[in-house]
Amino acid sequence: MTGLAWRQVRRGALLVVLLAAGVPALIATTHGRVFADPADVAGLRAIAADPAIRTLFGEPLALADPGGFAVWRSGTVTAVLVGVWAALTTTRTTRGQEEPGRWTALLAGPVSLRGTTARHLGVLALLSVLAGAATAAALVLAGTDPAGAAVHGAGTGLLGLFATAVAAGTSQLFTTRAAASGAAVAVLGAGLLVRMVGDGVGELSWLRWTSPFGWVQLSRPYAGDRAGPLLLLVAVTAVLAAAALVAAGHRDVGEGLLAHRSHRPAQRGLLGSVEAFALRRCLRPVAGWSTGVGAYYLLLGLTAVSVTGFLAGNAGVADMAGRTGFTGLDRVEGFTAAVFTLLAVPVGAFAAARLAAFAAAESDRRLVLLAAAPLTRLRLLGAEVAATTAGALVLTAVAALATWVGVAAAGGGLALTDALRGTFNTLPVTLLCLGVAVLAAGAGLPAVTALGCLPGAGGFLLQVLADSVDAPAGVRGLSPVSHLAPVPLRGVDWTAALVMTALAVLLALAGAAVHRRRDLRC
Amino acid sequence: MDATTRTTPGATTGATRGGPAVHAVGLTKRYGSTTAVDDLHLRVPAGEVFGFLGPNGAGKSTTIRLLLGLARPSAGSARVFGVDAADVERAHRLLAHVPADVALWPHLTGAEVLHLLAATGPGTDTAYRDELVERFALDPGKPARTYSTGNRQKVALIAAFATRAPLLVLDEPTSGLDPLMEREFRRAVAQARQRGQAVFLSSHQLAEVEAVCDRVGILRAGRLVEVASVADLRSLHRTEVSASYTGAAPRLSGLAGVEAVETTAPGRVRFTLTGPPGAALASLAAADVTALAVREPSLEEIFLDYYGEGGSGEQVRP
Ligand SMILES: Nc1ncnc2c1ncn2[C@@H]1O[C@H](COP(=O)(O)OP(=O)(O)OP(=O)(O)O)[C@@H](O)[C@H]1O
Ligand SMILES: [Mg+2]
Repeated sequence: MTGLAWRQVRRGALLVVLLAAGVPALIATTHGRVFADPADVAGLRAIAADPAIRTLFGEPLALADPGGFAVWRSGTVTAVLVGVWAALTTTRTTRGQEEPGRWTALLAGPVSLRGTTARHLGVLALLSVLAGAATAAALVLAGTDPAGAAVHGAGTGLLGLFATAVAAGTSQLFTTRAAASGAAVAVLGAGLLVRMVGDGVGELSWLRWTSPFGWVQLSRPYAGDRAGPLLLLVAVTAVLAAAALVAAGHRDVGEGLLAHRSHRPAQRGLLGSVEAFALRRCLRPVAGWSTGVGAYYLLLGLTAVSVTGFLAGNAGVADMAGRTGFTGLDRVEGFTAAVFTLLAVPVGAFAAARLAAFAAAESDRRLVLLAAAPLTRLRLLGAEVAATTAGALVLTAVAALATWVGVAAAGGGLALTDALRGTFNTLPVTLLCLGVAVLAAGAGLPAVTALGCLPGAGGFLLQVLADSVDAPAGVRGLSPVSHLAPVPLRGVDWTAALVMTALAVLLALAGAAVHRRRDLRC
Repeated sequence: MDATTRTTPGATTGATRGGPAVHAVGLTKRYGSTTAVDDLHLRVPAGEVFGFLGPNGAGKSTTIRLLLGLARPSAGSARVFGVDAADVERAHRLLAHVPADVALWPHLTGAEVLHLLAATGPGTDTAYRDELVERFALDPGKPARTYSTGNRQKVALIAAFATRAPLLVLDEPTSGLDPLMEREFRRAVAQARQRGQAVFLSSHQLAEVEAVCDRVGILRAGRLVEVASVADLRSLHRTEVSASYTGAAPRLSGLAGVEAVETTAPGRVRFTLTGPPGAALASLAAADVTALAVREPSLEEIFLDYYGEGGSGEQVRP
């Protein structure tokens, strides 16, 4: 059974462990170069001290230390990566298997639901431990202080364990994987948000004591190495995991602790055609993703004024920021342009997830009833693509709206049209994600979500890595994200946008062509 | 339950369309080295209820997937009323399907699933559908995730029977139904036949096949080994005859169609008979028969012969 769990997670685990360990270690090795010029160092310190930057990156604890520098630049990203991955993997292998009834046969054996859950959690916990250990080992190999490396590795791994425990809990509460995943990610998101507010607003710094992300930061890797906050995280995680296991012993297979209404009147809206039905299935996910994306961009909007104001008053710092790849950060347009280019990461992931849901309907044989209706394969797939595109457009608009509201609330000036231009500028990369996901789902490949995230999240990571190690421009250019012009600071790069869109359309057409010709798996 | 009533292609028009309800010519499906369906030739006329039988893994579901265009044949072709099965948009206007293992969208209630299938399907008689919901005792207000296997199957069956599609393709549709619902199912098949709908029914339930089917086809290891009416199948098979007599022992060995002659007791004989019984009866008459019992083989015994579980492993043919 542990073998079964392991087989389901090994590929993603390898990638996450590599990233969690590799990125900070790579950044640590660049420390000497960055700190060679005293003027740059001063600029960096000034940027890092800005409340808005603190909000995003956390408190700069030991910039002078290669390890401390790596933690500051990558700690939040790797913690989020490990946490979200651990949460989603947990719901996927537990509730995600239980929901379509795959555990029914498994549980006919001598092992109880609690035993099965415990074994899966064991495997997942091991992976987080592995990610933490690899992070620490890589940082030691990169020549940083072993104690700091150990604390940072422990923090990263513990955050993964915490996320697994939370997701194990939500998997007991809810009957569907989507709800369990959503709730777990919401808990992590709330924790991150609390940490951000605590870091950004001086008077509220105590808030960090209420968030797992805060505890990881309060362990001060390379700057005191405190174990207390991490022990707190261990304790909370243990309590959550124990609660999840107790809950697993008190419920029936396939059921959740939260009772759902067993009877309801029919809601016939959006059931009149496959296109309408695709839209209907898309509504909830769009609402969920909108909340996350909206909250994030609202926060960025709120900080935009403070950051840009600070940079405008420090020409030297702004110059330095310009040389490290952040151009025009002294203007709201520039700052928002920089953060808008990231939008393709979540919106592309949304698109990939929708196509993965379509692929799941096929392998769960739900699709048979529709496939037996007088509808061409192209319409089945096309309905999903159309609904997903509509959802992506909504998310893109929500990001613009949230940023605009945030900037306005903070007393800044950003035209709504500029915000919209900025977010819609990322659409070609989102479409690339969709195109890859359509090809993957159309061809019946596994791991549709992961493949669909390659242009967005993968491209972003590639760009960060390439920047961190001063890779040749060609490597950076492989990332679609690197071809996005900083809009609204500058105009749209229409050539790049059209090329990427055309490529996306070609990928989707190829997907549709393969889908039309192949055997369905149901 | 006031969902879209749409112009329904009348079942009767099915008969006048371009060909038999199901027409397979050299239909073959290979998965790597396994041949799931092997050179299948089959013709099911419009309006016929056709039983499709065979042991596990014989290729019944694969044949159905080929008929529905869910999978493509490695060789040969399948046509539905003359329309190539690959042209699903046209072919599926003429059929409704119940899969072997019904999976539904867990969030939708039964009523919502029925509404969706009516809206996307080949046209539904909503009044008849509501009647079927009553007859199959389905609670349509529950989310599909709370349905048992049998209830999920009922949803798909109701949706299929409520269409006026001239062909119903049902893959083991009663595997999860209780005896009461099984009876409703047989009624619904009979009503479909009355309306002129053809039914292609894959099944393991021999009593059901015997009760509802006009003809049966028997598939074994991907090959069609027999197609016959249920009555013909019987006559092709051995009848067991026991007789008591007072005269001299009848001379049965060597008579055409007589096999396994056995003297069970003094004055009692048992043998199996295939084909016309005249010669055997004449021989018995000469022996002053006092009692005669003829036992038809059960359908089950016939199928065990075909399925190859009867001992020799080879199918027994007359
Ligand atoms: N997608 C596939 N890939 C490989 N082999 C397959 C596939 N689908 C079916 N088969 C093989 O084809 C053969 C026929 O399978 P099929 O499901 O058609 O049998 P069946 O007659 O419906 O059996 P049952 O009565 O158990 O439902 C089996 O040997 C099966 O393993
Ligand atoms: Mg089958």
